[in-house]
Amino acid sequence: MLNFIIRKLLGMIPMLLIITLLIYAGIELMPGDVIDFLIPMDQLAEMNPEQIAAFKAAKGLDGPMITRYFSWLRGVCTGDLGYSLQNNMPVGVLMLQKLPATIELSLAALIISSVLGVALGLISAIRNGKLADNVLTVAGMIGVAIPQFLFGVFCIILFCLNLKWFPVGQRGTAGLLDEMHHLFLPAFVLGISMTAGVMRYSRSSMLDSMNCDYVKTARAKGLPEWKVNLFHGFRVACTPVMVLIGFRLPMLISGSIVIENIFQWPGVGKWFTDAVKTQNTPIIMSVGLFMVLLVLLSSLLVDIMTAILDPRVKLS
Amino acid sequence: MKNNIRQTALDRKMDRIRALEESGRLSTRLTSRTARKLLSNKLAVLGAALFLVICILCFAAPLFTRWQPGAISLRERMVQPSGEHLFGTDQMGRDVWARILYGGRISIVVGLGSALGAAVIGVTLGMFVGYKGGWADRLVLKISDVFLSFPQMVLIIIMVALVGQSLRNMILIFILTGWPSMYRMARSKVLSLKEAEFVQALTAFGISPMKIAFKHLLPNTVGPIVVNITLSTAMFILQEASLSVLGYGVPQEIATWGNIINVITNAGSIRYDWLGYWWMWLPCAAVLVLFVLAINFIGDGLRDASDPTQIG
Repeated sequence: MLNFIIRKLLGMIPMLLIITLLIYAGIELMPGDVIDFLIPMDQLAEMNPEQIAAFKAAKGLDGPMITRYFSWLRGVCTGDLGYSLQNNMPVGVLMLQKLPATIELSLAALIISSVLGVALGLISAIRNGKLADNVLTVAGMIGVAIPQFLFGVFCIILFCLNLKWFPVGQRGTAGLLDEMHHLFLPAFVLGISMTAGVMRYSRSSMLDSMNCDYVKTARAKGLPEWKVNLFHGFRVACTPVMVLIGFRLPMLISGSIVIENIFQWPGVGKWFTDAVKTQNTPIIMSVGLFMVLLVLLSSLLVDIMTAILDPRVKLS
Repeated sequence: MKNNIRQTALDRKMDRIRALEESGRLSTRLTSRTARKLLSNKLAVLGAALFLVICILCFAAPLFTRWQPGAISLRERMVQPSGEHLFGTDQMGRDVWARILYGGRISIVVGLGSALGAAVIGVTLGMFVGYKGGWADRLVLKISDVFLSFPQMVLIIIMVALVGQSLRNMILIFILTGWPSMYRMARSKVLSLKEAEFVQALTAFGISPMKIAFKHLLPNTVGPIVVNITLSTAMFILQEASLSVLGYGVPQEIATWGNIINVITNAGSIRYDWLGYWWMWLPCAAVLVLFVLAINFIGDGLRDASDPTQIG
């Protein structure tokens, strides 16, 4: 097991090198010069080539791409993520400001989708074929078909702007209650959009486990129905559902980019799209590295979880 | 316990089909059985009907509206629905119904075209390289690994910034980000079929790997491929819409479903009175959701129908 994890982690290193190099080259090849985003146009027109070259050198934008990539890489290895081109703030410090917002949002969405998805899936499985099951199945199908942003914008229009139940945008600053108040709607939208998948999955895995012999035995012993469902059926059914959390992490990242932009949530996703618009290389690189690392680690997590939960799976 | 009402109904239908087959009145060819299974699935039929209706409305758009999607008329801005304008007009006085129909063309082409393109690349690579194995297989596998380690949205945003926004680029980017999952699916299918006895027999006869891969293995994987194409079509249509909200989608001046719905987030201003101007975005959103729903119904139906282990 330990062997496997170490081998996987080592295998990630060349992968990360290739991917970061690709992103770096990608930013480099983007149309337009970074300098257009850094200096106002009228100033730029008055600058002579030497001044521009000096400005680029001061920002570390001169020299061939490959040497700049390696100096960025050296920085990352020593814990220096570089400085934002726009305001010269250290990216590491900015990252620590943005990250909590995104983690808070994603975690809340993960909890909402897991709890709601598992609970609804359970109800759906227990009431299999009855009205509740059919209603939930149809609702799940419609839920998958509604785009996240549409649901988000609709909620903003209805609950924030018309009913004024929730504030729009930004994180809460005045205490826990205010924070929750700000967090609820974006987390709810992000969570709901993933609930349908979890529900479907937990329904089918619950149905499978309810068909097993030991569940029938438990029922035959005369245990109350809720005990059979919860302690015998659900306990086994919940293991594959746990694995699903690992699969949802990349989706959560993609989703949080959209939701953060709509709700003006000051997290990593919004930071990333803003940085791409202004070709702010150090930020794009750091966020890209972080997200790719997260995807790779979550797929490793899925492998490990499956191996722990299912003794038939061999890691190799 | 396991047989719910729908399954038993399907079982009965399947029994009837099998009885007819055994009495020799129906051919037992697998494709016709698949078709019959599909036709007995109510949701799939409903989905197919919905899909057809929306496609006809969009691709024969001039028959259903006399307005042009880009025709700006500043005197008729945000006009309510009427006989003249079926779903009113938007902020620039463009007819919303016309935009939904003409925009549907683009959205459907983007979704379906990207899914087909991704399938062609992914399946070809998966079939042939996967069957032959060796260094080429390892290389393609590594490349697909690189693509799959990005959250899809991040990859798409970087690529759009790289090559610029246009309709053609959007499709190309979707193909480029979509092929790895198709490839993985085709490859895993091929790897499981590779050990089958009929493949060993074909190899013993000295038939070229190319022919084995495409003539004998491909027909055996067609079910999952078609299912995957339908489901990715739905995914790409939703992604196109999400991207236009972020400002990375098809250029604003081209009407697509994403761009039409996007009037409500345009310029970063979500207005409280958009509920009052429902006709500008709600009909289009409804058509988008219905279309995606229809494709998902078809995909689910195809999955059940093409799975030979599933009788009903």
